[in-house]
Order: sequence, then C-alpha cells, then structure tokens
Amino acid sequence: MHDAAVYLLSNVPGLPPIVQTVHLLGIAVIMSSVVLLDLRILGLALPSQDVQELTRRVMPWVWWTLPIMALSGLPFVFARPQRYFTNPVFGLKFALLLPAIALAAVLHFVSVRKPDAASTKVIAAISLLLWICVVLAGRWIAYVDYLIPVE
Amino acid sequence: MPFEQFWTWLEMTPLAARIGESAWFPFLESVHVLSAMFVVGTVLMADLRLLGWSARRYPLNVITDEIVPWTWGAFVIAVVTGVGLLMPRASWYVVNPAFLAKVVLLMLAGVNMLVLHFFALRTERVRLQMTTGACSLLVWAGVVLAGRWIGHLS
Repeated sequence: MHDAAVYLLSNVPGLPPIVQTVHLLGIAVIMSSVVLLDLRILGLALPSQDVQELTRRVMPWVWWTLPIMALSGLPFVFARPQRYFTNPVFGLKFALLLPAIALAAVLHFVSVRKPDAASTKVIAAISLLLWICVVLAGRWIAYVDYLIPVE
Repeated sequence: MPFEQFWTWLEMTPLAARIGESAWFPFLESVHVLSAMFVVGTVLMADLRLLGWSARRYPLNVITDEIVPWTWGAFVIAVVTGVGLLMPRASWYVVNPAFLAKVVLLMLAGVNMLVLHFFALRTERVRLQMTTGACSLLVWAGVVLAGRWIGHLS
C-alpha cells in the first residue's frame, strides 16, 4: 500500500491536488449537510425549512461522504505514515472527528423525534463546534511546527 | 505582470511581513479553507434545488433567500483571509497559473450568479435555472481544484 501510494502520488501528474480537491469537496458536503442542520436546529439558519425534513434530506449525504473522505485522505497517510502518525495535530483531528461522527449519528436519530428539545440543541451546538475544529485541525496538520517548535 | 510595483510594495508592508513570519499564515489558511468550503457547501445546496434534484417541496426563492446570506457572509471571510494569505508572497501568486485560473473561475462564478439573479430567477425559466445550477457546480469545483493546486506549483 505504501509503495503504491508513493508511486501514484509522485508519478501521476496532478494526482495530489485532484485527490485533495475530492477531500475538500467532501468538507463542503459536510458543511451543507450536518453543519447547516446544526445551524437550523439552533434556530440560526433556514427558518422555513422543517427540521425533520431537512434531517432526512441532508443526513444521507454525511454517510455517503465520510467513506469518500477516508478514501481521499488515506493515500497521503499510506505514502508518508511517519508524517501523520507521529503528528499530534493528526491525532487531535481524529480525537475530534470520532465524537463528531458519533454525534452526527445521534443527531440523525433525535432531530427527527425531538427536533425542538433542549437536548437536541445542545447536541447540535457541540456538533457544530466539533466539525469546525476538525476542519481547522486538518489544515493545521501541515503546520505542526508552528505549534511545537522543532528542536 | 501589471502593477508589478504594487505587488512588491504589498509584500514589503509590515502586515505582510507579520503574516508571513508567524502562525498568522496557517491560522488564516485554515479559516480560509473552512469559510471557502462553507461557501461551496451552501452553493451546492442552492444548485441542487436549481437542478430540481433536491428540496423540491420548497419554492426556489425560499431556498435561495435563506442560503445566500450565509454564502455571502462566508465569502467575505474567505476573501479577507485570502488577501491575508496573498500579501506575504503577492508577486509570486499573481504569476502562478493556478492562482490566475482560480481568479478567472471566480469571475465565471460571478457571471453565472448574475445570469441567475437577473434572468433565470425572474421568470419560470426552468431550463435556464437548471443550466446555471449545473454551471455553478462545475465552476465552483474548478475554483477548489485551482485553489488547491496553487501550492503545488513552485
């Protein structure tokens, strides 16, 4: 896997930016699905769209996009595992991502049943914060040196 | 490149030096990615409705009226952070083919939006609405690709 990833990413012209663009467009889908649903539940956006209908409309996008995110991210991890597995920001991203995914599943379940409950709003607020931090942390993987100076 | 002196001057400003030499650069870049993907996500939602693939129970103007303020808000953040990213190496960016492609694609996205606003939304021109929705999807994907490609060119 390592050899295949290194070979493809260094020999297919334009492959790294293309695969990264797929990953970025996945972020856009996350923004327009679970993040907008969070904003709707919190009463900040899309006032005339029904929470239950919105949930059923956007949440399947999350579950289709996450595997695409994994597939478009993995080649870079396979190619340079030492860059990622020793990187604390990479660890942080996944420490935020796993609860974000878990909360998306919870939200998918509760926002259809209790769209106006205070507990649903709390989940939406945490979910919103987590997804924002996942995206920021993802970009900071490349800038870990700014956070932890190299000796 | 036109305005060559301007780009060099921009690089020499104290603010540009401050951004280029500190954690301000990655901070601005991460906020740029977040806000730009929010722009593309909200545009995607409007495009799917324009194409008639999603949210058909709502009138088109309900979807666009509710989503467009969020798109503009995020776009402003993306532009401000984008200018911040450009400043430390302005004269390098303005000759970078991927950066130039991104600027052209952003202009095309603007033209597409004007067509939508002044022609497609005014009447029941469903086919024109679908066309602008499809163009928007392609152009914005191109903006992201070109934007991501900038850093891969040396």
